Amino acid sequence: MTDASVPSFGTPREVLSGLGDLTRKVRAAQRATWFPLLLLGVLTLGGILVGRLTFRIETVPCPAGDAAAGGCTQVAQGSPLYWLIGLALAYAATAYFSIRRSRERGVGSPVRPYVVTGIVLVGVVSATTFWAVRHGMPKPGEPLDFWGLHLDPGSEAVAILQRLIGNAVAVGLPLLVLAWVERSRALLLLAAVYLAIELVPLTTGWSGIPSTSPWSAVPRYGVPGVLLLLGALGFALAELPRRRTAS
Amino acid sequence: MTDQLDPHPAIGLDDVVHQRVRLGILTVAHQARRVEFGFLRTALGLTAGNLSQHLTVLEKAGLVEIEKGYEGKRARTWLSLTPAGRRALQEEVAQLKRLIQQIEQGGPASDV
Repeated sequence: MTDASVPSFGTPREVLSGLGDLTRKVRAAQRATWFPLLLLGVLTLGGILVGRLTFRIETVPCPAGDAAAGGCTQVAQGSPLYWLIGLALAYAATAYFSIRRSRERGVGSPVRPYVVTGIVLVGVVSATTFWAVRHGMPKPGEPLDFWGLHLDPGSEAVAILQRLIGNAVAVGLPLLVLAWVERSRALLLLAAVYLAIELVPLTTGWSGIPSTSPWSAVPRYGVPGVLLLLGALGFALAELPRRRTAS
Repeated sequence: MTDQLDPHPAIGLDDVVHQRVRLGILTVAHQARRVEFGFLRTALGLTAGNLSQHLTVLEKAGLVEIEKGYEGKRARTWLSLTPAGRRALQEEVAQLKRLIQQIEQGGPASDV
């Protein structure tokens, strides 16, 4: 910032307007939205590779009255450890980056609520996931033991719960917090689109990849991953003119 | 029994806070939480000497906290608002809004 920004004194309205301009300039200098979006985008796309490497098909006994020749198959893929470590590292790296940047620029960073929310929610989601892993995948027809609740795995409530305890909570909600602390409408919109993708039960048939394919994680992680990376690119480009003005 | 008139909002403006440079310093420090001297100087378009004078006034009034240190071999001065500084800024903004309201309701308009 090279322009003189001391609020000019005139009418009270002009004074308040001058203070508003000053606040907006400080906010612009504080923002570094592209960095967490880049990390989360790379991590989400990495989930495709982890899905491919951990993919396995098991033959399990079919539920009574639904016997198929040769038994039923159950597909398992993904690693809760990948998301736990990856997300925790992403939030820690964002905190470190913000502190470094804050020292370089000489202006405090508002990201603490984002990082704290992210780490707490990663803890909650991980605890839930490890509970599910410890109790094993329910056999077809068996109820799902979720923190002592016996739920029907085929029910709509379980489908919503599964979507809720995933990246929607561990990534989407902290992004909403970041949009709030940065007072960024563009990030609010991006977080809303991300949450819609994670929470709305979209079919993945359009991708032409069957659920029994080792690459079946491509649509599930590819769409949100690309959205986050495009967001990172957009915010980085939007910050460029400000950085040029500042230098 | 005497009717007591509400004091004009301009009476409630604090002379220490209601000065354009100092109001600018408090606003930047409030948004930034912690701000470095160099950033403040550039953001407000001031000379180092001028900014120092205003910071001394604000520090004496207990509205800002100044912290001096080193980053490598570079001397750095950081400042942050004290709780009294935060309250003073909020009060100033509230008084300005009251003034606007008064002007809009037909009271005498005045420069502040």
